[in-house]
Amino acid sequence: MFDQIARYMNKLITDRSALAGKIAIAAQDDVLIVDGNPALTHLAGDILARLSCLGLVVAAPSLPFADFLVARASREESCIIPRDTETRTFLHDIPFLRREELGENAALDIARLLGSRKGVVVEGVGIVASGALTIEQAYINYSSIFHSTFVKYLQDLLHDGFLLPGEAEAFAGFRRDWLRPLSADGLSFRLGPLADPAVILDEIATVGRYTVERGLVDSFFGNISCRTGDVIYISQTAASLDALAGCIDPVPMDNSSTFGITASSELLAHRRIYEVSGAAVILHGHPKFAVVMSMECDETECTVKDCWKDCDRVRMLGDAPVVAGEIGAGGLAKRVPPVIAGPRRAVVYGHGVFTLGEKDFAEAFQAMVEVENWCREEYFRRVAERLTACRG
Amino acid sequence: MLRVDLTNRKSWYEDIPAELLHSYLGGRGLGVRLMREWYRLDPFDPAIPLIFAVGPLCGTPAPTAARLTVVSRSPLTGTIYDCSAGGRFAWRLKATGVDALMITGASATPVAIAVTPSGAEIVDVSRLRGKTVHETVSALFGRGSVAAIGPAGENGVLFANIMMGEGNSVGRGGLGAVMGAKGLKAVTVNGDRPVDIACRERFETARQDVMRLFRASPVIFGELGIAEYGTPALVDLMRQRRMAPTDNFRRTVFEESGNYSGPAIRRDFHAKKDGCYGCPIQCKKSTPSGEHLPEYETVSHFGGLNGNAGLAAIVKSNTLCNELGMDTISAAATLSAWGEARGRFLDGGEVQGLLADMAFRRGEGELLSLGSRRVAEALGRPGLSMSVKGLELPAYDPRGAYGMALAYCTSSRGGCHLRAYPISHEILRKPIATDRFSFSGKARIIAIAEDTNAAVDSLVACKFSFFGATLEEYAELLSATAGIDYSPQQLKEIGRRICLTERFYNCDNGFGVQDDILPERFFHESGSSGEGIEVPPVARMRFEEELQKYYRIRGLTPEGVFADPDFLLKQP
Ligand code: SF4
Ligand SMILES: [Zn+2]
Ligand SMILES: [Zn+2]
Repeated sequence: MFDQIARYMNKLITDRSALAGKIAIAAQDDVLIVDGNPALTHLAGDILARLSCLGLVVAAPSLPFADFLVARASREESCIIPRDTETRTFLHDIPFLRREELGENAALDIARLLGSRKGVVVEGVGIVASGALTIEQAYINYSSIFHSTFVKYLQDLLHDGFLLPGEAEAFAGFRRDWLRPLSADGLSFRLGPLADPAVILDEIATVGRYTVERGLVDSFFGNISCRTGDVIYISQTAASLDALAGCIDPVPMDNSSTFGITASSELLAHRRIYEVSGAAVILHGHPKFAVVMSMECDETECTVKDCWKDCDRVRMLGDAPVVAGEIGAGGLAKRVPPVIAGPRRAVVYGHGVFTLGEKDFAEAFQAMVEVENWCREEYFRRVAERLTACRG
Repeated sequence: MLRVDLTNRKSWYEDIPAELLHSYLGGRGLGVRLMREWYRLDPFDPAIPLIFAVGPLCGTPAPTAARLTVVSRSPLTGTIYDCSAGGRFAWRLKATGVDALMITGASATPVAIAVTPSGAEIVDVSRLRGKTVHETVSALFGRGSVAAIGPAGENGVLFANIMMGEGNSVGRGGLGAVMGAKGLKAVTVNGDRPVDIACRERFETARQDVMRLFRASPVIFGELGIAEYGTPALVDLMRQRRMAPTDNFRRTVFEESGNYSGPAIRRDFHAKKDGCYGCPIQCKKSTPSGEHLPEYETVSHFGGLNGNAGLAAIVKSNTLCNELGMDTISAAATLSAWGEARGRFLDGGEVQGLLADMAFRRGEGELLSLGSRRVAEALGRPGLSMSVKGLELPAYDPRGAYGMALAYCTSSRGGCHLRAYPISHEILRKPIATDRFSFSGKARIIAIAEDTNAAVDSLVACKFSFFGATLEEYAELLSATAGIDYSPQQLKEIGRRICLTERFYNCDNGFGVQDDILPERFFHESGSSGEGIEVPPVARMRFEEELQKYYRIRGLTPEGVFADPDFLLKQP
């Protein structure tokens, strides 16, 4: 299990979601093992020993957004309720502990909250996430909380501006130091059409790795497919984009076999997109600025209560249409195909981006970069506008 | 709780202390707890209880939770035994105002128990002696929902089922024979009381959360998932993973399995959706005329395990087992062991003849009615019974999933896939994928999953829900219903108490490390390798090492038993 711990410790550092040196991971087999930052390992071990779970991650996130969210929350609140689909579906909400609520026995308090949820934010400490069955699962839960607090903080800022001392500086630092320009430059894609299964499998794995390496998508949040003839090669459910080798299912277009039951929950969406667009490949991921911007609806007299699911309008983010619809059998598969064929890109409300390649992944990758870059610029433009408005 | 004593033809209500409901929830947990004074009795002893216990969510719109558990001791395995079943029976029972129905004693002539909100009536049904399940259910139609046994249960077939009128079964361990030994042909329930939900708003939020997770799960609502194709959706997957038991587990690929895959069943039998009452998934399938179509384990065992590729014959065997009230997995696996011993598997037609002989215990059926372990022993070939603790292994080859290998052995009811249910993560990637060819971490994973599923079985929700949802959402549903807060961690602790209680009963009845073992075949013979997948024998050393880890995690001795003889007395 030590190799597993090392692996995910490393992942937290390379995906830049946690601060190197401020990570501890615990796991229990027949005995409890912990590794990482000495101060945090003790806490991690103490918490995990109280839970019926195999793995636990305690780490300080690389950005102070989660702490800001806690500090910005009103006194009565005890959890963060993010608005992205990831959280809405899998986490529901994220409980937090304020610095002053941490009693003598912090492990006990944290374990009590983790007894009901997959992860919590502990002010001044970081994100603590558990994994019932594997260390990987704890890593994914950490990642989800990092993603959703990132998205929520950015969205809140757009609406309410800075409220706390230090926020403006931290935000400027984030923009200057943490964010990196996104591009497809220097990546090499195989030229389509792709027909040889071995080549397809390899190319999907490569492109998956690119999306994560370039910081476009976090490793667990997306899927990829490629169609050749009557077969869709698609990444499996809960597979990580940067480790897709062996996790790609060939699914016949006509459903003559069911062994793709392990394929991504978006299989139906992919299939319908292929049917309407004639594309050869589909790339799907959850780039953060696209997620934020997809939820910025200007409609003032809208009667829809549940925008994620029920909004039937098509809005635009640059060249990309935005539609509502939930994961899997939840409607996204119905709403994306009609809008994606022309622009070869579409955004799903609170969720992420789908892009197409007519022949190969070069086009799809480039399109995703463009969507996210557009959203990023638009986001900062609107934040600037909002901040000026406040000052004025 | 409603108690019925068949010997003295008496029935009366008894209170279940609130503490027991808090500590054991309902369903499996409650039933197992109620067995505390009786678990040492022989399964055919008239005094042994047969307990029908509903869960705390029964009667609410909680997805897949209109279920109950039947608990007693298994005549096939000798272990404590429980099985969960859907259908309308559970909520109709709950709607009579009863959480548990405990039946003891035995009647000399066939009787039925009719439960209504005003109590239980014992009805003479001598005219139904020897009738099939369908005939029995039809005859009792006016009395509400029916749970009945067929000839197999009346005749003491060790793997006889109790069948619900809607086609659901209380299967595997032979509780139908326990019912038969009591002279009890059927139980009918007919209540109409609504169930209270303490906080409707909270309940509705949690229900929406569950539904969202169902929609996000390819296994549940995916276009290739179980809502579309039922559990036979697994046929193609198991073939592809090279872990489909074939020829009595001598091989792990059956070339012709495509004949009985999900799409083949849909095509040939015009399968339509069917399922348990109030379940949004509707994973069971039936023909337009209402004939129930077989589940994955059934098609695979009457199929590949017996070398049969004919779908029509498989469907017929399934229907026959349902009519006779007999477990399909054990019936098919027993025939398979017998086939290997005789050097030839039977064809579809011969199988059907023998199924009837088994249920009526005539001719060769007399021996076969005892299950594969006793058959193989009687034939002098004990190694041919592919069972653990005498319970026949279902259609997941343990050489293809090491968590499954371990789980078969640690399961409190013998070779069963549903206790820790590692297929969920080893094969279906839910909630996360684990390496199926590795033992690493599996002891802990199995222990956690056993606890979780014991809670699920006590709630009583359907395991298939957990291909999407988790205890987080079900804890919310429970808290909202009961008006008392339960956390997932608390539920797992309750689950742990239930698992340990079962283990304690078994240990007290003589079970230990010597019983927690797979058939020799799996340690010596490889499965069918190919297509880039190696299926070697299970490494015995690693298996035993991991089993010892499991014992340590459970606080047991290296012999797999309790160091503390007073363990039970310290439990609520
Ligand atoms: S999923 Fe299937 S078995 Fe489970 S409750 Fe629903 S219909 Fe019944
Ligand atoms: Zn997505
Ligand atoms: Zn809207």
